[in-house]
Parts: sequence; C-alpha cells; structure tokens
Amino acid sequence: MSPFERYGIAHLSPSSCNTFSAAPAAFILQKCMKRSNPVGPAAHRGTSVETGIAHGLQYPHAPVEECISKALEQFNTLCALSIDSRADKERSAIPEMVKTGLVELRPYGIPSSIQGHVSHEVEGLSVPLIGYYDFEWAHKNVLIDLKTSHTVPSKIKLPHARKVSLYKAVRGDHLSARITYCAPKKVATYELENYREHLSALERICLTIQKFLSLSDDPLELASLVVPDVDSFYYADAVTRQEVYQIWGV
Amino acid sequence: MAIGINYESGGSDDIIPIVKYDAKAGRMFRRDRVNGDNEQVDITRSFKAVFDFENLETGHIAFPVGGAPDFALARIGDRAPEKPSADHRQGARILVKLTKDCGGDVRELASTAKAFLRGLDAAHDAYEAGMAANPGKLPVYILKDTVPITSEGGGNKTTNYSPVFELTSWVARPSDLTYIPRAKSAGITASAAAATATTHAGSSTPPATGSSRVSAPVDAEEDFG
Repeated sequence: MSPFERYGIAHLSPSSCNTFSAAPAAFILQKCMKRSNPVGPAAHRGTSVETGIAHGLQYPHAPVEECISKALEQFNTLCALSIDSRADKERSAIPEMVKTGLVELRPYGIPSSIQGHVSHEVEGLSVPLIGYYDFEWAHKNVLIDLKTSHTVPSKIKLPHARKVSLYKAVRGDHLSARITYCAPKKVATYELENYREHLSALERICLTIQKFLSLSDDPLELASLVVPDVDSFYYADAVTRQEVYQIWGV
Repeated sequence: MAIGINYESGGSDDIIPIVKYDAKAGRMFRRDRVNGDNEQVDITRSFKAVFDFENLETGHIAFPVGGAPDFALARIGDRAPEKPSADHRQGARILVKLTKDCGGDVRELASTAKAFLRGLDAAHDAYEAGMAANPGKLPVYILKDTVPITSEGGGNKTTNYSPVFELTSWVARPSDLTYIPRAKSAGITASAAAATATTHAGSSTPPATGSSRVSAPVDAEEDFG
C-alpha cells in the first residue's frame, strides 16, 4: 500500500502542495486527519468574481451589471450561512473586481475552454498531480489563471507560478501562460517565466510529501513532526484553531 | 592536506547501496543487505532508472577480491586523478534512482568492465543529444538488451555482454537523488564534499516567476487593418 493509499489521498494538486510547503500542519489536518477545512469569505469572493467574469467572457455582449449580478448571486449563496464578519467586506469588493477583470480579459475574446482539467504524472510519484485552469484561448495560444485580491502584486507569486507551470506543462510548451491579478481599482496580467523550474519545484514538493507520508501510517505521529504557526491564515477559522490546539497543544 | 585530498575514510555516510552489472552474464543485479548478508536480486528485465549523468564520475577503480573497492574518480569535466596503482582500472561511477518496480531507491552503479563502459558511453551520448531540449531534467533508461562482445587474446576467446540502455523519458531530478562528492573522489575533502553538495539541477539562484505585464494578443486582421 502506497503512503497515499494509506491516507486515502487519490491525487495531489498545486494547492495541496502549496499548503504542505507553507503549513505542513494544515496539510496533515486536512489530508491525513480529514478534518474539515472551512473556506472563508475571501475564497468565496474569488470563486464568485471568477463566475461573473466567466459569464462576461462567454457572453461578450452581456452587460457588466449582469456579470456582477451573477457574481453576487453566487457569493450570497456560498456565504448564506456564514457568520464571518469579513463577508461584508468581500461582498463589497466584488462589483469592482468583476469590472476590472472584464476590462482586462474581454479583449482576448471568448475562451475556448473554462475550468479545464489537467493531470500530470510525476516520475516516482504514485498519484497524479492534477489541477484546473481558469481560461484558455487555444486559438491564441494563451492560458490565464485568475487571482483576486485587494491589492495587485508587482510580480507573480511563487505558489501561483507553480500552479500555472503545471497547466503549461500539460497543455503545451507553446502556450503563453499568464496570471491576471484582479483588484477593485487595478488589474495586471503577468506572463509566467521559468516554467520548467517551477514545475520541477512542484514535482519535488510532491515527492517530499510522498516521503513524509511514508514515515508513518499514524497521522498523530506525522503531526508530532511539525508545529503549526497558529497566526497563519491557515488556522484562522475558529473550529480549525480549536482542532490545532487539541492536537498540538499550541 | 595542502593539496586538498583527504586520505581518510569517508565514514559510514559514504555507503550507498549498489546495483551491479555483471558483464560476463549480461545481467543487472540489485544488491540488498538482508540480516547482515548480501542478497542479489536480478532486475535485468525490470531495470528502469533515472541516471544522474550530470554527476557522472570517471577515473580509476580497483575491485580487490574480498576487499572494499577503491575509487580515484573525478566528476565528469573535472581533471581526472592519477591512476593510484596497477590494480586500478579505468572505470566509471554513477548514481541511479530505480523506479519502484525494481527497487525504488537510489543506488550506485560502478564498473571497470569495458563492455559495461561501452554501453554507458552510448547512454551518455543519448543524454548529451537530448539535454538541450530538456533543461534541468535527467534521463530515464531501461535496459533494453545486452549484446555479446567477443574478444580474443592469448589463445583464449572471451565473451562479455554490453548493456544497451534505451533513453525512454526525461524527468525532474528526484528529491532523493542527491550527489555528494565522496571523500575518496579526487581533490575532495570531507568538508568540501559537504559544502559542494548539490540537491537539484538548475541555476544557483531561485528562478524568477514573472513580472512582465502583457495584454491580449492583437488579432491578425487588426495587424493589417
């Protein structure tokens, strides 16, 4: 039985690799102990803005207000039972994010695919590395992943570079792989550089996870090897914070 | 130590399990340590491995009967050491990462058999031919075949088998395939070995992610409009 089978992990993703890299305790909590990982309003905001922009790209003549409405509708559904005080702040940012995103991406035309699935075999890894890219314009050889935030970074963030390197590796070297950072007042699209190196880093993280999981079939044993940084946003949710305290005592 | 050569033993950290190519039989074996004894497992048919050709070592090796082998090697591209004794023969050593079907771990493969070196040389040629198109990656080979090579000398006819390694793919360097220059390699002291240990291929600085802003491509017809 492989280390992944032991923990019921059918695949790895850039997201799980980035979690392992940034917060190994959160990875153990989610993947080995199968504890819930409540998604906060910021993540729901990202999903909702993406829905609004995807609608605007698929229907180029759809009014921007209609796209914003689609986004808000999804956000309200996702946060219907949320008591998180940050939901209002995230909701208020959605209209402007959809607007700036459409200004940036509508010039690309109608995407040939949205939310495309990719799967990549890593030599020596017993599970596939999978992911979902946001938009591809195959006829223009462009693939874009959308990120929403309240500020636009001056360059591609490393976890995002690894993620998009996977898409490029699977969809083809010829593609221009890009990331669009969408904020209420600003938007920027950056082209990924050094994708082979970032893919290589992602593969190394995968193999490290495999090696780490192989150390023990007892999740508490694995937990004893790391210490969570409880100030990290990975543990910001109250339930998660409590579980961390019960398991690690910190 | 003025000339930077450590004559001391490299210690137990130097011990890496091996795979052995038997040129007389044309078979590849994995040597495992089981309850204190060596056990040979024939992996000729299942052999598939990542070859660390970036850190191939060449030079001279002695395999004394009943004793530990003695290596006087330099990483490829570095100056080769002098032949230490008449017992040392020209040879090569390389680290390979076996696929899980034939072991799954990192092994050392070393030999002075000309038939083996001939096959390794051909595999290295294939590596060099493909490395530009596969930057930062290492080649994966299978042992496709073994071919007999007959030589005559002193009235005797000897047949050895040369391995035919087929390059089947390129992969990122496995995280556990780490080259650490051994103390017995030429010009390497233990401290230098530790200092120059490399854990992955690529440049010495972290790669940039990308900060060039781009806009939507212009349609061809607009170009001429």
